[in-house]
Amino acid sequence: MWTLAKKILLHDRIKFAVASAGVSISVMLVLVQIGLYFGFMRTASTLIDHARADVWVTKAASENFDFSTPLDDRTYYRVASTPGVARAERMILAFAQLKLDSGADLGVQVIGIEPHARLMAPWNVIDGDVSRLGEPGAITVDASEWDKLHLKDVGHRTEIGGVRARVAAVTEGIRSFTTSPLVFTDLISARAFTRLPDEAENYVLVELAPGADPARVVAALRRIPHVDAYVADEMSARTQEYWSSRTGVGAGFFMTAILGIIVGLVVVGQILYNGTLQHLREYGTLKAMGARNSAVVRVILYQALISAVVGFLLGGGLAVGARAAMAGANLSVALTPGLFVATAIVTAVMCTLASLLSIIKVLRLDPASVFKV
Amino acid sequence: MIPATSSTPPLAELRGIGKTYGTGEHAVDALVGADLAIYPGEDMIIEGPSGSGKTTLISILGLLLRATTGSIRIGDREVGQLGERDLPALRAKTFGFVFQGFNLFPALTALENVALAIRMKDGKAKDPEGQARALLERVGLGPRAHHLPADMSGGQKQRVAIARALGGDPPILVGDEPTAALDTKTALSVMELLRGLASEHGRAVVVVTHDPRLERFADRVVRVEDGRIESNLPRLAQAS
Ligand SMILES: Nc1ncnc2c1ncn2[C@@H]1O[C@H](COP(=O)(O)OP(=O)(O)OP(=O)(O)O)[C@@H](O)[C@H]1O
Ligand SMILES: [Mg+2]
Repeated sequence: MWTLAKKILLHDRIKFAVASAGVSISVMLVLVQIGLYFGFMRTASTLIDHARADVWVTKAASENFDFSTPLDDRTYYRVASTPGVARAERMILAFAQLKLDSGADLGVQVIGIEPHARLMAPWNVIDGDVSRLGEPGAITVDASEWDKLHLKDVGHRTEIGGVRARVAAVTEGIRSFTTSPLVFTDLISARAFTRLPDEAENYVLVELAPGADPARVVAALRRIPHVDAYVADEMSARTQEYWSSRTGVGAGFFMTAILGIIVGLVVVGQILYNGTLQHLREYGTLKAMGARNSAVVRVILYQALISAVVGFLLGGGLAVGARAAMAGANLSVALTPGLFVATAIVTAVMCTLASLLSIIKVLRLDPASVFKV
Repeated sequence: MIPATSSTPPLAELRGIGKTYGTGEHAVDALVGADLAIYPGEDMIIEGPSGSGKTTLISILGLLLRATTGSIRIGDREVGQLGERDLPALRAKTFGFVFQGFNLFPALTALENVALAIRMKDGKAKDPEGQARALLERVGLGPRAHHLPADMSGGQKQRVAIARALGGDPPILVGDEPTAALDTKTALSVMELLRGLASEHGRAVVVVTHDPRLERFADRVVRVEDGRIESNLPRLAQAS
């Protein structure tokens, strides 16, 4: 039956090509849009996801990871002495202006970490020496931001917030979500760059003692005045959720994906329906001669599913190509296996829905109509 | 073929069939009080002017259309007592249909067209391809089994359609002007084929036609006029 459905479908190659193109564009739109969304979300929480902290402590009611209200060192000491906390490290995350060679200013996001920090440190270091971040004004820059920063080499000097800075190490692939390049430095330089008071920081990162119950430690930390605490996964999810829902970016991506699905539905539906109308007399003949409805439905459904498979493979290929093209533009499209599986299911459902009109048409077909010329 | 005798029971029997299309002012009495019996081995031709009710008559006979009045027996079953759900199965078991327009899938070869019908009729059919091949042999198209309809003549296409109608070995073949799209020579050979089929397995063939030249293939000629069966005679009797 598959073979026969395939033959009926492939008989008109142009129509089949259009149907497959419709499905593949739809598949590509869904994959790229959702992949971009996942990519954005991954980037939004990249610092949290790369940190080794078990628990993040923030100022109470601080909603946004990148624009948080500072804490002070008293809080840090109370966190460090909370039972179940094995290690506590301060971290600064704030914006500052970096002086470009051209004389213009560029906003950067400064990440200040403890000397010998273990819970948050730059990763993917491709050049230079991170252990020298403790030297005054030492920073890391990311290779992907070279075009913006024009800082090409270790040792390159500049100013951040009017304070002298020097590239001590270069990382690769640490992308910023806010579009302001991420610059790692130590706590002291970070306070200087961002004009943050001494003894102020944005986060305290916590490593739990072996065997400590995260929920109980979090509850204990929350009893410190004006403090909120989240386990790392929750912190990551909150950050993604903030950007996704507050900015409407999530809705935007999903709307485009849904539009893609609608395009696919209409194109495939239209082509299948057209093909069904064209073969209505043949289907009617088969029905008159006793073809079971289920068999007739299957022939049409199989045609839809064949379009789905071909379109999915083409669209998947297009999406992988688009990912490569967009990586050049510093956009990450996160095409996870889960996304492919989900999209495959959506495609199958879409094509099944698209065949519904044809199926209804054939089911309603009066066998007596076959004698009408 | 041997004309039916009253001793053999008919394969199908219509009694007092009436059909009215539409209602009220627009009602059309397409068929009035039609009686017709189809006997095994019989090759019947139904003729009559355009609009006289021929298609209506065989549609009702073939269980494709419900009559407004009258009753139908298929074998020993009274159709009026069957529900809508049982009708398609009885139809599939009893009738094969052939049309003026062949109605073959252009994408499928002769063999595939026939096999598809066999499969769709019975999902558990044994070796549909083998059956299809045998049927194509029977209609003289064995060597053309792998040709597409587009590569066949009208007569060959109609033979494929006949082979398809024979799938599942129904006792009655019904054709509505199956030769109308064919030239005379081809039409005659198709009629010859149908007549030959009627002689096998106690099958019956019922064919509507406009073409009086085809009468010579019939055992019985039924004439319909204005919704009434005007005459129903063995061919020899009619000729005299
Ligand atoms: N579905 C329908 N609705 C209304 N009237 C119909 C319908 N089908 C047929 N009729 C009418 O019933 C009458 C008989 O039609 P039928 O098709 O049985 O004639 P026919 O003998 O087959 O004609 P032809 O030789 O032209 O095929 C005609 O007057 C026709 O207009
Ligand atoms: Mg007619």
